[in-house]
Amino acid sequence: MIELPDDDLGARAVAELRGVHKRYGKVEALRGFDLQIGPGELVALLGPNGAGKTTAVSVLLGQRRPDAGSSRLFGRDPTLPATRRLVGATPQAAGFPDNLTVREVVDFVRVHYPDPAAAPELLGRFGLAELAGRRAGGLSGGQTRRLAVALAFTGRPRLVVLDEPTTGLDVEARRGLWEILRAFVAGGGAVLLTTHYLEEAQALASRVVVLADGQVVAHGSVEDVTTRAGLSGGHARVPAPPGLEEAILRLTGGSS
Amino acid sequence: MMVALAHFKEQTLQHLRAPGYLLPTLAMPGLFYFLFEGPDTEVGLVTFLMVSYAMWAILGVAFFQFGVGIAEERATPWERFLRTLPLSAGQRLAGRVLSAGVFAAAAAAIVIVEAHLINPVSVAADRWLPWILALGAGGVVVAVGGIAMGYWASPRAATPVATLAWLLLAYLGGLWATPTELPSWAAEVSPYLPTRLWGEVTWAALQGQATSPRDWLGLLAYAVGFAALALWGYRRDEGASYR
Repeated sequence: MIELPDDDLGARAVAELRGVHKRYGKVEALRGFDLQIGPGELVALLGPNGAGKTTAVSVLLGQRRPDAGSSRLFGRDPTLPATRRLVGATPQAAGFPDNLTVREVVDFVRVHYPDPAAAPELLGRFGLAELAGRRAGGLSGGQTRRLAVALAFTGRPRLVVLDEPTTGLDVEARRGLWEILRAFVAGGGAVLLTTHYLEEAQALASRVVVLADGQVVAHGSVEDVTTRAGLSGGHARVPAPPGLEEAILRLTGGSS
Repeated sequence: MMVALAHFKEQTLQHLRAPGYLLPTLAMPGLFYFLFEGPDTEVGLVTFLMVSYAMWAILGVAFFQFGVGIAEERATPWERFLRTLPLSAGQRLAGRVLSAGVFAAAAAAIVIVEAHLINPVSVAADRWLPWILALGAGGVVVAVGGIAMGYWASPRAATPVATLAWLLLAYLGGLWATPTELPSWAAEVSPYLPTRLWGEVTWAALQGQATSPRDWLGLLAYAVGFAALALWGYRRDEGASYR
């Protein structure tokens, strides 16, 4: 492979997937998937169930190896543990050891990072301060989700990967997380977010990638994607969902 | 190192707070030693059985902490989350092994201390180290068996499988009474079981008798077999979840 000059994407990309193919038995989850995320960018990965979003996230995080193509974090191999020091992640399903307290879970995760956030600050930021002494097994769905997202920020990451982070959160908690993500991105952090809430993508994303059957069917700004689907570009400025939602239904064959 | 210690602490706290784990490992061996054997006056017998029940205690840690522990955690969201941390499989394993080692030592110590308190046990000064070493060597073999169980048993089946194996192997291995008291059908199976082989080398070490190479070779064969099963199961699980 040719070394890219410093000012090119090769050096700037926080995360980069190139031509990734991934197959499980007869199912082709990803068919030549490309993705680049730079600092200060929030990329929303959208698509119907089974489109390959979670597979893309696992390849990016080094949890699965691509059958073909390459996956890089900060220019390095994500399957090496050291590469993941600058990354925080929230998997789609959240769960913790039942018998540990929230504070113990946070302290346990902090040990893995060279310069972690202070536990009280982290718990406060995610509205968990009062739950610090509670057993993780006794948390409600929303509290579990908040702890899972807090853990993604524990290591003061430069990239945060959130797989459907706001599922199960009430409106207030969701808006709270949005504020945290906006501040993180404004400070130069990069975010990859998969979501089913189009409102969320419209509110947060600097770029949208639409995935269907393991391939990118559209990418660009929210305006680009709505335009490409043949909708009037003006819709994208409207905060209500219809613009992007309609676009995705058209682009993915109406099975969203 | 810090990371492995954090995993040691996580594993240890979780198990210390789980009554379902503490009952078969720390409570039952001591309780059964009391119910079946003590207080008694037969020095040879109570000493022999102290050693047997210490083995049974370690067998419990091997099957419940490794077997049930690995099987139940394997496919959990928590395990998937751990894969996103800057963490190697070796650090996780080190924490788990260290924690199980501490529990195994505690479980055996409870039986040994109890036996000294209620019975006139007597171990020659120069026999302590040999029998403890034999106890530990067999403990490693059954721990590898526990790891194999963890990768092959489904999360729902793990507890019943571990419980049944733990009870049957103890009884048939001659750990609850002396092997000579086994009914004839059981006595025929017994010499081929890992717990009996473990018993033979440990009892011989205790009494200062020569151990038969057959027993050590048998244990070694089990160790190799369990390790192969564990590795196969681990690869199969990795392939299904993370390839």
